[in-house]
Amino acid sequence: MIRLARYLIPLFVFLGMCIFLYKGLYADPTIRKSEVLSKPFPVFELPDLEDVQILHTNEIFDGKVTLVNVWGVWCITCAIELPYLTALSENGLTVVGLYYDQDIDPNFGTKTLTRVRQEVAETVSRYGNPFAFNIFDVYRDTALDLGVTGAPESFLVDENGVIRVHHLGDVNPRVWRQKFSPVLNEIAPSIEASIALMNDAITGAQAGIGEGVSGE
Amino acid sequence: MSKKPVLKGLSKFVRSMGVCMGACIGVAAFMLCTPALAQNSDDVGQAAPIQQTELNPQPQSGQTPAGLQERPKQEYAENYVFVDAGKRREFLELTAELRCPKCQNQNIADSDAPIAHDMRRKTYELMQEGKDKSQVIEWMKVRYGDFVHYQPPVNVVTIWLWVLPVLFAGSMLVFFILRRKPEIEQDIESKLARADQMLKDD
Repeated sequence: MIRLARYLIPLFVFLGMCIFLYKGLYADPTIRKSEVLSKPFPVFELPDLEDVQILHTNEIFDGKVTLVNVWGVWCITCAIELPYLTALSENGLTVVGLYYDQDIDPNFGTKTLTRVRQEVAETVSRYGNPFAFNIFDVYRDTALDLGVTGAPESFLVDENGVIRVHHLGDVNPRVWRQKFSPVLNEIAPSIEASIALMNDAITGAQAGIGEGVSGE
Repeated sequence: MSKKPVLKGLSKFVRSMGVCMGACIGVAAFMLCTPALAQNSDDVGQAAPIQQTELNPQPQSGQTPAGLQERPKQEYAENYVFVDAGKRREFLELTAELRCPKCQNQNIADSDAPIAHDMRRKTYELMQEGKDKSQVIEWMKVRYGDFVHYQPPVNVVTIWLWVLPVLFAGSMLVFFILRRKPEIEQDIESKLARADQMLKDD
């Protein structure tokens, strides 16, 4: 018995180490727990990007489910997800942009607001415009309150103004199915049903293309 | 096969475990000492983000949104001004201790990520509001989690990092003491006699 243990204990220790280290090989060190999940959206009062006289507050969340997309024209991934976000908005989801640009802060850059508006107009005309409106996070205080580490990040906010999903990186059909779909199905099933159909159509079309290529 | 060689092998195993145990205690002691050493060292501010950059020209006033004019820009530009040397030191310590959430393993003083710029500015702003070091760290932790501070708190999860090595070392020590039996001289003598006998038989 003791003899057996002499061989088995090191074996189990070794196997345990192997599993632990193997998992570590494929662990994504950038994944972190969001601190704002299931909490109310931070209190804000910020101007609209197009018309700074209009002030947006947390009232924008009242009575509907909103996807808040933190973005900027300087961010390439943000442009890449614009077509998909546009498709989401066409399926009845309200998409609001939280726009931030360090270069317009006089302390960091020399961009003017007119220039930024021009660039925004160019970008959305090229890739699609999902935004009901853009909130202009002048000093990026709201982005900090949200725990944003870089654009793009997306927040699904329910009709009570509570953050239900916090996603870092671009939103696409795969991410949608994994993270957004179960939650939206709970808080707005009709919108989710429509988006699910669209996702199936997109991935179906992509699978078709894949088959065509492999068949040749 | 007699039981003795097995026990002897086991005691060898235990002895090597004793060496491991010693190493563990050494490592644990080292880990316990490092934070203390780090706190004593005086060169926290080496990677200071203090730059005397020229201020950028203000955008034309007609295009400036309402929010932009609320705060004078010297207050949070990257050339942070401190009247109090102690406050300056505190700022340098904070930016060295706070971890950039975007980049892997860089503090916000070292990092050039946009988020690090914003966090330095926020650190300065919070300090100007009269918040002390622990309050600034707390502000950041609320938003970015424990990840944001280079000194992780001791809690239910992290306590195991300290407890497990000590527990392992302790249990091995107990095992070692219990297993150790004085060799019986008589036994050796009888063995020697047997060996002699075998040699003679040859």
